[in-house]
Amino acid sequence: MALAQVSSNKCSGGYQKVFEHDSTELKCKMKVAVYLPPKAENEKCPVFYWLSGLTCTEQNFITKAGSQQAASEHGIIIVAPDTSPRGCNIEGEDESWDFGTGAGFYVNATQEPWKTNYCMYTYVTEELPRLINANFPTDPEKMSISGHSMGGHGALICALKNPGKYKAVSAFAPICNPIQCAWGQKAFSGYLGEDKKTWEAYDATVLAASYSGPQLDILIDQGRDDQFLSASQLLPDNLIAACSEKKIPVVFRLQPGYDHSYFFIYSFITDHIKHHAKFLNA
Amino acid sequence: MDLYEVFTGSRLDVITEEVLSGDEEHQEEVKEDEVNRDLPTKEAFVVVSEKAETRTFQRFSTDTNDSLRFEAYVPSSDEEGTPSPDSSVDGHDDVFEEHKKSENKVNNIRTKLEEKVVEMENFAGHLEEIFLTVEDNFGRQEQHLEQHYNDVLQTLSQRYDERAAALGEEKKRRLEALYTQLLGCGRTLDASKDLIETAQELYRTEDKRLFLQAVMPTMKRIEEFAKEKPDLTLVTTLEFDRPLANLSDVKTMMDSINIVPAPSAPVINPQVSNSATPTSLRVCWSLFSDDSVEYYELYYRPVLEDTPAADSTKGPDVSNVKVKETHCSVGDLLPNAQYELWVTATNTTGISPASEKAVYMTVPSPPFIRQRECSSCPEAALIRWESRNTNPVDSYTVELIETGTDGQSGVTESIVAVPTCESLIQLQSGRQYLIYVRAVNIGGPSERSEAFTVSTTGTIFHLQQDTAHPCLSISEDGFSMFYGDEELPLSAMTFDDNTFARCVAVLGDLIPVRGRHYWEVEVEEDTEYRIGVAYEDTQRNSYLGGTNTSWCMRHVLTPSRHKYEFLHSGWSPDIRITVNPVRIGLSLNYERGILSFFNVDLEQHLHTFYCSFLHYVHPCFALDNPGALTVRNGVAAPDDLDQGFPNSEYHNTARLT
Repeated sequence: MALAQVSSNKCSGGYQKVFEHDSTELKCKMKVAVYLPPKAENEKCPVFYWLSGLTCTEQNFITKAGSQQAASEHGIIIVAPDTSPRGCNIEGEDESWDFGTGAGFYVNATQEPWKTNYCMYTYVTEELPRLINANFPTDPEKMSISGHSMGGHGALICALKNPGKYKAVSAFAPICNPIQCAWGQKAFSGYLGEDKKTWEAYDATVLAASYSGPQLDILIDQGRDDQFLSASQLLPDNLIAACSEKKIPVVFRLQPGYDHSYFFIYSFITDHIKHHAKFLNA
Repeated sequence: MDLYEVFTGSRLDVITEEVLSGDEEHQEEVKEDEVNRDLPTKEAFVVVSEKAETRTFQRFSTDTNDSLRFEAYVPSSDEEGTPSPDSSVDGHDDVFEEHKKSENKVNNIRTKLEEKVVEMENFAGHLEEIFLTVEDNFGRQEQHLEQHYNDVLQTLSQRYDERAAALGEEKKRRLEALYTQLLGCGRTLDASKDLIETAQELYRTEDKRLFLQAVMPTMKRIEEFAKEKPDLTLVTTLEFDRPLANLSDVKTMMDSINIVPAPSAPVINPQVSNSATPTSLRVCWSLFSDDSVEYYELYYRPVLEDTPAADSTKGPDVSNVKVKETHCSVGDLLPNAQYELWVTATNTTGISPASEKAVYMTVPSPPFIRQRECSSCPEAALIRWESRNTNPVDSYTVELIETGTDGQSGVTESIVAVPTCESLIQLQSGRQYLIYVRAVNIGGPSERSEAFTVSTTGTIFHLQQDTAHPCLSISEDGFSMFYGDEELPLSAMTFDDNTFARCVAVLGDLIPVRGRHYWEVEVEEDTEYRIGVAYEDTQRNSYLGGTNTSWCMRHVLTPSRHKYEFLHSGWSPDIRITVNPVRIGLSLNYERGILSFFNVDLEQHLHTFYCSFLHYVHPCFALDNPGALTVRNGVAAPDDLDQGFPNSEYHNTARLT
């Protein structure tokens, strides 16, 4: 699998690079941003996977979140893929900002015309790690996952569906209970069809209620002034209730004054990377 | 003045205990030897480095004669300040090294010389005192002699006066008697003369009739007068009565001049450091005169605060001991007590005047370490104790020994001159130590106190019982607290300035060291608690977390769910926790100004306060509703504590709602 470097910028002593490759899962060219810390020059490093939210590409996180400093200090490689397949020329892919392009929802679509390309779940959990491990000095046992909004939803479901695969998980303003919110319902019905049973496999709240596996330690930050929170798109209370019930350790922080933007991510990304580092560097 | 001459010229001897055996014949010879032995040699004076015990002045040290020997400091050849010739041949670089070496050597020599100067000064001081004493004693001898002879002279003079007076009296008496007799004779003579003239006149009378008239009485008178026998014996004898002068007492006085006088007062030494025990004192004294002494008597009595020491009529009884040597150990005394001692010397003639009174002190009793008031952390321990002596002591000495894992003890380290009953000791983490305390006064150090074990794993503190709210009861071991169900009436509760009055809380006594501290709290799932830290002076009528002087995690149980707050100044961030912690770890880091909370069982970080602590803080604990809480101390902080908590500045909770 060839990785073609698109850009490289020195940052915080390491390198923020962007690569492009032909994805076998998604059947298109995909870009992926990779931050290599200084430690990577000499040693194997753990990998932190970041999943961005609706309308984002691989650029938003690396230019707005300010994660490189903490990644450099903790010696962690950060991989930030795109949020959906691009340039597939599927009809309707650009119609809405919350479905199709830039809104992959990290599922494996079963419905036409999406099922050929929109396999973001497999891409993120299988293809991408293989690609990264083959091309970078990584410790394949040390992976963790995080994300924002739709990406938060993606991080949570990847961790819950793959017990033990991810050593740490956290999220910023995640969509906790997609089957109960407008966004989720729209996306799932489009990608997965009308059978709500198939939706549950990609719902963090549902997955938490039936989780069994190694102990997780989930950190979630949520801006209190987040418009989507008040619009009932995010529904963190449901996830908290399920985790309380199932005794899944979660620390959920409601941050006053913060909204849904990357300014919010920027403010707390260091905390999250430290949280991940505790498990990745253990 | 040449010291040597002083020594030989006046034949000054220090009477050592070996010498003074009361045997006077021997003394002269032995003294001779002593003198010769003690004299400094004629060549250079050499300073002897004194042992530690004899350093403080022993002007009359009877045990050693170190103070009377003086050696000059001669730098040995290996301490030469100049660099050896061969090394200077090498290049430029060696010069600096040599320079440094010589600097060091010069410094060494200088230090040694300074020490020698001090010793020399001490020695001069000794000599001065001895000189004064000799002067004193000889002065006394002179006085005594003068007195003696004066007494004799006076007595003789007195006798002379008496005798002379008696003699004069006698003379007067006799002369008077004779004179009276003379007068008597004169009168008789006159009377006779008178009669004769009368008779003659009568004989010449022509008138025969008158003659016959007067002749018969006149003849009668003459007859009577003739009958009187004049007493011609001398009234007084002609012999001269010479009484014997009774000069026997003068004789005894003259004799006593030749008798050995009673000794001069001995000089009692000041107390030697470290010579006492809690129940005994070792007293030494000396005699700086030629007097012979048969034995000494040492008197002593305790010095009590309320009786003036000078008043010997009241006060405690005086005990005494008779000894032949110039030292004595007095036993059966009280610890850390002052005793007044004085000594007299006695020989066949009599008893010397008493020496000056010296005050000695016995060694104190060992202190008692207050275990419940001691605390520790990985880098230090705070030990508190009490004196257990009625009188104050001079200082304390703290001893610590590191005990290895096999129970072997290491080197004892001592911290001396501790002025108060507490000490903050720096230690190394992850070790075990035994700590002892001794009380020290002029008499020396006491025995060791009971050992106190310190383990520098984790932080150890005790609860400050006197801050506890009356409704809070503390367990026997001092680490658990209970808020009972029973409603205590307000009248049954005793509050004071230090107890919490509203919040059912108590403070811990954290060691005041600005390092990292870690402790754990165990609760039940439904215990409603507040745990965290607070400044010592946090308001006792406030709730923990409600003011800016305390930071705490609070658990509230509502009918629907568990609620967790992280309070400071009454404000808390909105945080949900899904698994209720029953074992909470608290990590305090003064340097970074953070207080973090963890669910220990899950190793889950819960929250971190960012605060720069202006003063030392204490762990605080409260129960909002009846329940129980246990503190776990001496637990090592988990290794990954540093990475676990976030370091964001945005978590600052110093905001008022």
